Amino acid sequence: MARRSRSERLWLRYLILFTWAAFCLVPMLWFLSIGLRPRTEVITAEPIYWPTWSLDAWHMIWRDWPMRAYLINSLMAIAGSVVICVGLAIPAAYSLARYEYRGRDDIGFYILSTRMMAPAIVAIPIFFLFRNLGLLDTVWALMLVYAAINLSITTWIIRSYMLDIPKELEDAARTDGASDLTILWEIIIPACRPGIITAAVIAAIFAINEFLFTLLIASTPAAYTLSVALANFSGGTDGIIYNAIALVAFIAFLPVFLVVLMIQKHLSRGLTMGAVKG
Amino acid sequence: MAAIELQNVVKRYGAFVGVREFSLAIPDEEFLVLLGPSGCGKTTTMRMIAGLEEPTEGRIVIGGEDMTEVDARDRDVAMVFQGYALYPNMTIYDNIRFPLRMRGVPATDHDRLIRRAADMVELGAYLDRKPGALSGGQRQRAALARAIVRQPQAFLMDEPLSNLDAKLRASMRVQIKHLQRELRATTVYVTHDQIEAMTLADRIVVMNQGAVQQVGTPDEIYADPANTFVAGFIGAPPMNLIDGVADGGTFTAPGVTAPCPATLQGKVVLGIRPEDCVVGGGNLTGSVYGVEPTGDMTYLTVNVGTRQVEVKAARDFRAGLDTPLTIGFDPRRTYFFDGATGQRLRHGS
Repeated sequence: MARRSRSERLWLRYLILFTWAAFCLVPMLWFLSIGLRPRTEVITAEPIYWPTWSLDAWHMIWRDWPMRAYLINSLMAIAGSVVICVGLAIPAAYSLARYEYRGRDDIGFYILSTRMMAPAIVAIPIFFLFRNLGLLDTVWALMLVYAAINLSITTWIIRSYMLDIPKELEDAARTDGASDLTILWEIIIPACRPGIITAAVIAAIFAINEFLFTLLIASTPAAYTLSVALANFSGGTDGIIYNAIALVAFIAFLPVFLVVLMIQKHLSRGLTMGAVKG
Repeated sequence: MAAIELQNVVKRYGAFVGVREFSLAIPDEEFLVLLGPSGCGKTTTMRMIAGLEEPTEGRIVIGGEDMTEVDARDRDVAMVFQGYALYPNMTIYDNIRFPLRMRGVPATDHDRLIRRAADMVELGAYLDRKPGALSGGQRQRAALARAIVRQPQAFLMDEPLSNLDAKLRASMRVQIKHLQRELRATTVYVTHDQIEAMTLADRIVVMNQGAVQQVGTPDEIYADPANTFVAGFIGAPPMNLIDGVADGGTFTAPGVTAPCPATLQGKVVLGIRPEDCVVGGGNLTGSVYGVEPTGDMTYLTVNVGTRQVEVKAARDFRAGLDTPLTIGFDPRRTYFFDGATGQRLRHGS
């Protein structure tokens, strides 16, 4: 095969990257474009090359529909679940990564295995559990369920980052006079911050897309999140309101997208650089 | 500062013995070096002093107090690690401050102590940097500053120089020795580098396979090795050890004849240091394997019988491959070891 020149190779690389980026982003832009067009235009069979822009759907979701309440429910449930989940995952991961005790690996596997279970199996028990707790139809129940679903994966992500932290750092802190909790708080957590952020983002993405348990727990709009509320557009006398669905879906996607943009340098780069000879 | 005492300390990992029957008194202000190949138990011994490992048997006494059961954080020793172990999220200033905060030193004293420690290792200009922005030598100096900022009972240093390049290692070595004398600090220093051990130590403990081989001053270890292990570990290049037979006051091996004490009989090992050998003379007969001029002297490797012998020759010595030659030495400079046990056989004994 003939050798490619340097610029040719660069070209090829950009072409591949561009194609991939388009593959990922075009559906989102498509959603946005559907969401910003009149309803009549969205459902015509003829292709439309020069769309008419319209804020119909935008006005509709904010004025005729409790968009604000659903958005707040979603954000609260996600934020609360991420805080609970990461707060529990950090000590669990530290224990799995650093302490030696009987059954440690079995416990680790058990935690992971909860992720492998089909959610439908526990749906009914969870419904009764929350009914007995009087938490049905509340955002608090959503926080707890999302946190429970995500706990396994976040624990394992954080654990793998903790395993990469040199043991010497903890030995140094211990001889410097630090207690176990101080070591966790001042040395370990800052050193695996990229892992914690990664885990939190993944937990948030799972939470925002969660549908089954939300539907089960949220029986009235009091606890509807965007993902369940979206389903409402497809019923009732108005038929399927495609442009509103597209716009809400886009709005649901936006916060995660922005968060990932802001923290992407943490997602890809380790902070332990410079701690020990690299 | 304080004296450290190890009393019959043993460390076992299951059936494997990491450290066997280690007893040693380290007086106050001594610079003690634990020397040995990797896996010899020297680092384990140090970690037991630090409290990072628990001895299976024996007691560890620091400053007159039994510390065997005391947690590392309450032992008041400062440790410097091979990988520096600086806290990556903190500036150098906060790194040095960490032990002061943990030990409850009044906050009003922090700044003064930190700056004094940083100045001692010439790091005053880098206090607001993160460890990632420093070179290897600077990081190691920062780790030293973190150790010296409080006045601990003792310093423990685990191969602190082995990640540095040769030139930096030599200058840091002098700096560590100077600091130790200036602070009059009891120091235990672990290394596998015999040059570091010889240059730094008041006393050296040579270890192998978990057992102490010899304890002594650098001069004693060099001039009076207790066995073939110590003899073969100390010196650059180390002592030549030649298996042979002693009979009636003469040692013989293929290509080698040398006088030996008449009391020696049977299989023995002859030891002769490269610096005590000269080209010419009649003790060894062989041919040139390699010549390595270094400027101030020439390393010469000679095939003698089935083995190789190292010689430190004159700086202008040159010879082609396979040139036949003879090597001589002063019989008073030879050492003899038991052929089976490797233990030293004293002249006249």
